[in-house]
Amino acid sequence: MSALREAAAAPDARPVRSSARRRDSLMAYIMLAPVLVLLGTFVVWPAIQAIYLSFFDWSFYTPSQFVGVKNYADVLGDDRFWQAIGRGLVFVVMTVPVSLVLSFLIASLAVSVSRRVSTLLKISIYIPSVISGVIASITFVMIYDYSGGILNALINVVGLPNQAWLGDPRWALGAIALPAVWLGLGISTLIMIAALLDVPQSFYEAAELEGASWWQRTRYITVPQIKNVLLFLLVTGFVASIQQYELPLVMTAGGPQHATELPNLFIFNHFRKDTYVGYSIAAAMLLFAVLGSISSVIFRIVNSEKLVD
Amino acid sequence: MRRRTLLTTAAAGLTAASLAACGSGTPGQKAEDSRAKSRTNVEFWGSVFTTPENAWYKKVVEDFNDAQEDVFVNYTVVPADAWDQKLKAAQAAGNAPDMYIKSGRLDTDARTGLLKPLDDLIEAKVFDEITDQAKEVSQYQGKWFGFPLLLEPQVTLLWDKDLFEKAGLDPEKPPTTWHEMFQACEKIAPLLKNGQFCVGTAGDPDTFGWTTVAAQQHVAGHLPVSDDWSKADAMDPKYEDLIGFYKTLQENKWMPRQPLGAGNSAQPLGEGKVAMLSQGSWAMSEIAADYPDKVKTTGMAPWVQNDGDLETSISTIGNMKWLIDAKSKEPEATATFFTWALGGDPEVLKPFFVDTQFTKAPARQKVTDVVNKDPKSKDAPWSSVVFEDIVPFCVPESQYPFDINAALGDAIQSGMTGEASPKDALKKANTEIQKVIDREDLAKAHKEMESK
Repeated sequence: MSALREAAAAPDARPVRSSARRRDSLMAYIMLAPVLVLLGTFVVWPAIQAIYLSFFDWSFYTPSQFVGVKNYADVLGDDRFWQAIGRGLVFVVMTVPVSLVLSFLIASLAVSVSRRVSTLLKISIYIPSVISGVIASITFVMIYDYSGGILNALINVVGLPNQAWLGDPRWALGAIALPAVWLGLGISTLIMIAALLDVPQSFYEAAELEGASWWQRTRYITVPQIKNVLLFLLVTGFVASIQQYELPLVMTAGGPQHATELPNLFIFNHFRKDTYVGYSIAAAMLLFAVLGSISSVIFRIVNSEKLVD
Repeated sequence: MRRRTLLTTAAAGLTAASLAACGSGTPGQKAEDSRAKSRTNVEFWGSVFTTPENAWYKKVVEDFNDAQEDVFVNYTVVPADAWDQKLKAAQAAGNAPDMYIKSGRLDTDARTGLLKPLDDLIEAKVFDEITDQAKEVSQYQGKWFGFPLLLEPQVTLLWDKDLFEKAGLDPEKPPTTWHEMFQACEKIAPLLKNGQFCVGTAGDPDTFGWTTVAAQQHVAGHLPVSDDWSKADAMDPKYEDLIGFYKTLQENKWMPRQPLGAGNSAQPLGEGKVAMLSQGSWAMSEIAADYPDKVKTTGMAPWVQNDGDLETSISTIGNMKWLIDAKSKEPEATATFFTWALGGDPEVLKPFFVDTQFTKAPARQKVTDVVNKDPKSKDAPWSSVVFEDIVPFCVPESQYPFDINAALGDAIQSGMTGEASPKDALKKANTEIQKVIDREDLAKAHKEMESK
C-alpha cells in the first residue's frame, strides 16, 4: 500500500518513454471516444440547445421570438412550479428512506439465510424491477379503483367505507409512493446485498467475540462499511424519486388538485398543453439547477470516504 | 452450475423476459404495404375512438387505397394518452404526419402556423355544403384550416330507466334542473349498493374544464375571461352556484369522489355503477357497441341546467376535424383523400354515422339526408334528441388556450370537494387565468385572431 502511494506521489521518479505515454494517451482517448460522442450528441448538445431555446417563445412552426429571461421570470414567479418542487421533496421523503430501510432489511436477510432461500428472495424482490412502470401504474390503478378495487374491498371487510385513494388529495401522493417503492426495491436491494457481501467477515467474528449485539454490529460495522453504497443509493434514489413522472402521469395525470403533480410532470404537462414551449424548457433548466444544488448538499453532508484496510 | 441453480436462473430469466415483454411493443406499426411503393405516401395519425369509429377509420383508409392508384394513406393509431406528447414531439422534430385528427378549436394552432389552409387544396364547392355550425369551428380568419367530419354535443344526460322506475320516478322523464336532479338522487340513493352512485360527472380538473364551458356560459352569461382576453373574469358569484351544484352532489355522496372511468367514457353507466351520467353524445354509441343489453334501458336528454332553460348554451359542440400539417410534404395528395372521404359520395360517410348509432351530426347536409333515410334510424330514438333537442342549442368550444379551462376545472374540483370555499377556489382560478393571459399575451393573440 505504502509502495503504491510513493509511486503515485512521485511519478516522474520512474523513467517513462514519451512515445509510450503518447500511445497510452491515444488509447485512452480512443476508449473514451464512444462515450464522449454519445454524451456530446445526446446530453451536451441538447443541453446547450435547450439553454438557447429557453430565451425564446418557440412554437415549432413560426419564427422564434427572443424574449430574454421572460420564461425564467414566468417560472420563478409561478407558485405551482415551487409547489411541484416542494411536492417532489415530500415524495422523496415518502419513498427514499422507506426504500433504503426495506432494502437493507431484505439484503440483511438475504445474506444470512440459506443459499436456496436467498436465491428465491432475490428473484422475488427483483421481479418488479423488470416490470414496465406503465404496466405497474395500470395495475395499481385497478387496485385503487374506487368502485371494485381490491384495496377498498379489503377495507370494507373491516367495516371501513371506500376511500378515494387516487381521488383524494390526502391519499393520492402516498398511493403513488407505494408502487414507486415497490418498483425500485429490486435494484437497491441487489446493490445492498453486494455491499454487505463485501464487508470482511472477520470484522463480525471479532465483534461477536467481544459480545456485540446485532444492533451494535449493524451500527458500528455494517453501516460504516457500506456508507459509500448508501450514499450512492441515497443520491440516485433522490434524483430518481424527485424526477418520477411515469406513475403520476398514468395514475392521476397530476391530480387531484395537483396533489401528485411532481416537478417533471409539471414540466411535461406544460410541454404538451402550452402554445409555446419556452416556459417548459426554462422550467426544466431551473429544475436541473435545483436538483444539482440539492445533490451537492447531500454529498457535502454525507461525505464520501475511501475505505481503509 | 448445479442443475437446480440452472433451472432457477432459467425460470427467473423467463419470468423477467415475459414481464418485460408486457411493457413493450409499438402500437400502430405495421408491415410495409406493397401498394405504398409506387404511390405518393400520406401519413395519417388517428387516435383510439369508440369501437365503430375505429372500424370505420380503418375501412375508409383501406377503401381509398383500393379505389385509386396514385395515393397511399398509411393510417397509424396513436393511443389517446400518448397523443399530445407524440404529436408535439413530432412537430418539434419536423416530422409530424401529413394529416391528423383533432377535436377542439383550431384557432391557436392556425394562428401559430401549425396547420395548412385547405382553401387552395380543395375545391370551394366542396366546402359550400358544410353546415354553419361546422364551419364556425373549422375556420380561422375566414380560411378553412380543418375539414369537419362531424359535430357532436359534448355534454348530455344519460340515465338508467330501470333504476328510475325502481325508485318510483318516471323512467321517461329525466330531470331538467339541478334541483330536480337532487330530488331524483334522494329517491335513487337508497337503492344503490356500495360502489354505486346516483350521478357520474367529470372527476378531474381537465374534464371539468372542457365539459362545463357551456354551463359556465349558461349560468353567468360569459366565460371566465373578458371578451378581449385581457382580463380574467372568474370571480362572478354565478360560478359559485355552478360549483355549489357539484358540491351538493359530492356532499351527499351522490357522485363518486374518484372518477369511475375515463373522462369521455360511458363505462360507469354501462357497468351499472351510476344511475345518471354526464357525457358526450358518443356515449350512446359506446353503450350500443360495448353494453348492448343496456341500450333499451338507457335514455338520452339535454344535461340539467340551473334554471331548466334547455334552449340556451346547454352543451358545447364540436369534435373531430381532419387537418393537414403545415409542413406536410404531400398536401395535394392528402387533400385528395379529404375530398374523397369527407367531401365526396355521402355513402362513404354513411356507415360512420349509422354505426355510431346516430349520435353524431354530419357536417354536410347531403350526408345528414342519406343517414336519416337509413331504416335503422327508427331504432335509435335518441337520434331525434341529439339532432332536435340538443344540437341546435349548443355553443362552440372555447377558443382560448386550454390552461384557462383547466384553471376553472381546478376551481370546480377544489370547491366541490371542500378543499377550498367556492369563492376562494374561484379567486385562485382568477389568478391562474390572469397568469396565462399575461404569460401568453392573450390580448394580443385575440386581436390577431379577430383581424380578418
